[in-house]
Amino acid sequence: MECCGPGYSSPSEAIKAPREKLLYTISIYTGTGIQKPDYLATIDVDPKSETFSQVIHRLEMPGIGDELHHMGWNACSSCFDDGSMSRKYLLLPGVRSNNIHIVDTATDPRTPSLYKVINGADIKSKTNLSGPHTVHCLGSEIIISMLGDAKGEAPGGYLHLNKDFEIQGRWENSMGNIKFGYDFWYQPRHNIMVSSEWAAPNTFMPGFDLEEVGHLKYGREIHFWDFEKREPIETMYLGEDGLLPLEVKFHHDPDSSHGFCGAALSSNVIHWWKDKNEKWQWEKIIDVENAPHPEWPLPVPGVMSAILISMDDKYLYLNNWLHGDMRQYDISDPHDPKLTGQVWMGGLLGKAPIVNGVKIAGGPQMFQLSLDGKRLYVTTSLFSTWDNQFYPEIRERGGVMVMIDCDPIHGGMSLNKDFIVDFGKEPNGPSRCHEARYPGGDCTSDIWL
Amino acid sequence: MTAITLANRDGKTFEVNPKRPILESLRDQGVDLPFGCKYGGCITCAAKLISGKVDQNRQVALNNRQINNGYIILCVARPLTDITIEIGVESHNQLYRNPFLDPLKPHELKADIATLKEE
Repeated sequence: MECCGPGYSSPSEAIKAPREKLLYTISIYTGTGIQKPDYLATIDVDPKSETFSQVIHRLEMPGIGDELHHMGWNACSSCFDDGSMSRKYLLLPGVRSNNIHIVDTATDPRTPSLYKVINGADIKSKTNLSGPHTVHCLGSEIIISMLGDAKGEAPGGYLHLNKDFEIQGRWENSMGNIKFGYDFWYQPRHNIMVSSEWAAPNTFMPGFDLEEVGHLKYGREIHFWDFEKREPIETMYLGEDGLLPLEVKFHHDPDSSHGFCGAALSSNVIHWWKDKNEKWQWEKIIDVENAPHPEWPLPVPGVMSAILISMDDKYLYLNNWLHGDMRQYDISDPHDPKLTGQVWMGGLLGKAPIVNGVKIAGGPQMFQLSLDGKRLYVTTSLFSTWDNQFYPEIRERGGVMVMIDCDPIHGGMSLNKDFIVDFGKEPNGPSRCHEARYPGGDCTSDIWL
Repeated sequence: MTAITLANRDGKTFEVNPKRPILESLRDQGVDLPFGCKYGGCITCAAKLISGKVDQNRQVALNNRQINNGYIILCVARPLTDITIEIGVESHNQLYRNPFLDPLKPHELKADIATLKEE
């Protein structure tokens, strides 16, 4: 289908898009001891270019201490039919400052520029929300999960912005009995949204006290929402199988009801779907066992902080931040995933301390897959205070970005030997890269109506 | 006015209004300090109190072990006496710990869930 709006008519059209040549990642100085603003880095990922595998531009935020984290587009394929919309702006929320930076990536994709800042104090005073996390466009409008109220207490809610980035107030009509917020994804043909749970900003921002999990300060439930009514309708209690349920992803196929959640501390993948009787069901489909550590009294959990579904819905990728491995599972049968690839990079188990000549501080953490499913870009920093607890050497070494070559036909993954971006060598000192996105949309941004 | 001495900045001393948060007072006088949320919830601006007393009732970020180790949250703390502090990440050596290697005892948790220390 030819049309004039942003994105692609379907996931299968997105797969055929031209190869990405640029990639954006945020990188932070917050919590590193370097008194500089966090920034958006442009990375050259065109292998024919002389500056391949290098940071070619840095857009500094106006202030320091934002802790940039996740990002989202102003518009995606959900506006494919709307010729008045374009994928021009990337939204960069600061988890700590509450500021939301709107960056123009279209005027000059190599050198993005700051278009507008939504002041964090305004968001607090107008909506009583703080701690911005996941950004999804919603047709022409935008919603952002906010993990706390203005004082950093859970459960927070959802900030609603119009297409001109003006605060519209709260998106949700009710938070029901939801205790915490984190990530969310929606599947409009089933009128469903699923949200997950991290913790209150006041709990997770200072760092991770493991004991607080037992005191129910961290989440263990996922929530199903009536998307049109904007209210939660059903909660799945995951218990010990679902401690810290973080990233949620539906299949890209808009007709599918299947979706997945990575429970970070349990290091499990939870699968949900709508059964023949229109009931939502869930099951645990992947369980990463804790691993023994030579110097630890307790076995080390994987800490599966992110998951990603390839655009053809065939593969699920996950990380184990503390173990140090990235995995690829064939989920053609979502009830019965098969491990088809694994790559080690950093981590606490000492399996791959050096990658392409760079000593890695941290483990695989955030990742973005090319639309054709062949290149996975992986970064190593989780969150400044949590990095400082588990990988204190990241202060001196900074984060890195690596590329993993993936085989979308037969499965399998291997480290690309020609690509590594060492954020330890940044001009202002070691910084830490996190989430990455491509100018033309990516595997974690677009939703089809 | 109250005096704030920075032990790890050559003992430099600043006169401040005791009613204002320390972060604000020091930044106004040109001291480069890390900060994040500015409401006492995120620990980015933590500093170590070497001597003197502060009121930091509004902070919600520190657990009791961090408080016992002298940490204060500069964006909400106000000096009750003349104080000496260490600032910046150089003062954070006891702030971060691996929670699997070095668990907290029940009385070392954050104030809202900590139990009283058994004597």
